[in-house]
Amino acid sequence: MRAAVAPQADDLILSVREVKKHYPIREGALQRVVGHVRAVDGVSFDIRRGETVGLVGESGCGKTTLGRVIAALADPTDGGVHYSMDGEMRRIDRLEGKAAQTFRRNCQMVFQDSFASLNPRHLVIDLVGRPLKVYNEAASADLVERVVELLEQVGLGRQHLFRYPHQFSGGQRQRISIARALALNPEIIVLDEPTSALDVSVQAQILNLLNDLQKERNLAYLFVTHDLSVVRHMADRLVVMYLGKVAEAGETQAIFDSPHHPYTRELMAAKPDLEAEANVEIRGLEGTVPDPARPPQGCRFHTRCELATSACGWEVDDVIRWLEDAPGMFEHLVGVERTTEFAAELAFDNEDAAGLLSMAVRSEQVPETMRAAMRRLNLDGTKVEIEFEEVGEVELTVRDDGRMAACVLAPQEVASWKSP
Amino acid sequence: MTDVQQSRNAAGAMTADTAFRVRMRRLFGVLQGMASNPATVIGLVIIALMLIMAIFAPWLLEPNSPDPYQMPRDWGAVRKPPGTPGHPLGTTNEGGDVLYGVIWGSRTSLQLSLMVVGSTMIVGTIVGSIAGLVGGWVDEVLMRLVDVFLSIPELIFALAIAAVLGPSFGNIILALAVVLWVKYARIMRAQVLQIKQHDFVDAARVIGDSKLNIYLRDILPNAVTPVTVQATLDMGNVVLIGATLSFIGLSEAGIAEWGVLVSEGQAGIASGRWWASTFPGLMIFLWALAFNLVGDGLRDALDPRTEGR
Repeated sequence: MRAAVAPQADDLILSVREVKKHYPIREGALQRVVGHVRAVDGVSFDIRRGETVGLVGESGCGKTTLGRVIAALADPTDGGVHYSMDGEMRRIDRLEGKAAQTFRRNCQMVFQDSFASLNPRHLVIDLVGRPLKVYNEAASADLVERVVELLEQVGLGRQHLFRYPHQFSGGQRQRISIARALALNPEIIVLDEPTSALDVSVQAQILNLLNDLQKERNLAYLFVTHDLSVVRHMADRLVVMYLGKVAEAGETQAIFDSPHHPYTRELMAAKPDLEAEANVEIRGLEGTVPDPARPPQGCRFHTRCELATSACGWEVDDVIRWLEDAPGMFEHLVGVERTTEFAAELAFDNEDAAGLLSMAVRSEQVPETMRAAMRRLNLDGTKVEIEFEEVGEVELTVRDDGRMAACVLAPQEVASWKSP
Repeated sequence: MTDVQQSRNAAGAMTADTAFRVRMRRLFGVLQGMASNPATVIGLVIIALMLIMAIFAPWLLEPNSPDPYQMPRDWGAVRKPPGTPGHPLGTTNEGGDVLYGVIWGSRTSLQLSLMVVGSTMIVGTIVGSIAGLVGGWVDEVLMRLVDVFLSIPELIFALAIAAVLGPSFGNIILALAVVLWVKYARIMRAQVLQIKQHDFVDAARVIGDSKLNIYLRDILPNAVTPVTVQATLDMGNVVLIGATLSFIGLSEAGIAEWGVLVSEGQAGIASGRWWASTFPGLMIFLWALAFNLVGDGLRDALDPRTEGR
């Protein structure tokens, strides 16, 4: 790991505060808003000068959306990204004129798909020289030399000036993107999965290049990725996201040594191990990511968590999800009448199915923790009344040594858990 | 001027030159792609011949005075068959030289298609771009307007407008322009909507380039391909529809225009005087065919799946 010098408070460049980004779901001819996809649902963290923050999570967890909000490509629905300017923190979506320009120049982005992010009709000199032209940084006579300089910094050269993007390999194209991002000498670069589309060998070259550039220029990176092995070598600190929220955050090494959130643990376990014996089954996360328009109650991860307790926010949806795979019951379900997310009356078209459900829910067929969380179960003819303990959202709390995790379990409980 | 400045300026000039050459090579590649398709080459040859005919019309046949776009009248040689001395393609009922109509008619057709396609392409591109870029209710209003235009068949709509405005060649141009811009608006809007989603547009926003620059440098150049293809096809179609309107008498009688000539000559076909309609009709056919062949060739040559990858 790099420089272990403790970051100073005045090193703060960006501060992400309770950022939410919700996308409306519209339906029907009148395009009425029927709900919101909560892509990012209240995320906070800081980025300091010269450090790399890894933003990690599965696809659909909102990490890319958050990256776009930080690069000011999208406005947050709520909360804000604050940028350190002349000693004060200012919200980037409220900046105007000169201040907006200063932020714009100091926060650049490298995209995942290098082919899509380079205009196919522009030559390399146009692509890399464009930022310089926008801010009149270089007279046309100087432009070539400036672009050559930038290209040389990313391992390309003068001979590449007059070529189109399609004449390069994926790794070279990503180098062009990096050169473009460096042109304005920014303080921070948002790297949105910059190596996911590349071969492993090329991936290593690009990562080394990014590391070298960071050292030379004291750059800060926000490294957005799903690949834990990449951030392990790149990031000083990690922010692990799940369904639009932070599951865990802290120093990279500390998180890898002992994850405090079961989700982080599972992510780390899901990585294929080069040293493992052949044909050993790779453990992965069970099930799919829940619908971000209807995130689970309590802890958002409880639907897939092997360590879930009765306090994790079991709800009506969990029963329905379980029912979907239960033959002889789901096809007889005719109505669900919710009073809250935690209480509902399930109506069946016959008494047998209703009886079957109430039996099943009392038995080992459903997770024990779910049974324990159930406050009431009432069979009334064709109807089954269920009620769970009401649980609020599990908040991100500070643990020892400044780490944060959003889990009801103590760190030791997560650490001592052995996968079956 | 110091040496350093001089060498810098020289470098700058060289750069512009190199960039220009690389871009020309790319354009040349597109032309090469078109040249490899025999049908496109045939179309290009026909168009080239038509253009030569239109440009050199005054040298090929002495212009009629006072108005060269009116058919000359030779009352001494009425209804003569092809091969008559002085009238190689025969004459019309009024003693008009069919060859004169064929040659000077190419100028009329070129004028018609250039004016209609030029104006509709510009208007359509602007309207489509605004709809696609601004979105919201502006997009709604513009696109519903386009829907209204598209719900009426082209020919009938143009016919109705030309009939209201009164029979004249200028009104045919106007009628076609009013009817045809919507196609370009539709195509352009779809293109803009698609291209503005591209990462390279976001990349330009991250750099901080202005909206106008992003439109002019990123969106428009990547959006024009289908518009160009449509314009090429329309160069032919416009003459076809224009000839139809002329044929039913919405143009001026006696002008050197292929559609008018076909219309005026058709009464004689039953009496064996086939030439007065056939030659101008053949020209309409060749014109429309040529632009359709080139339009198809252009579509293939500019196909993003084959271009430059």
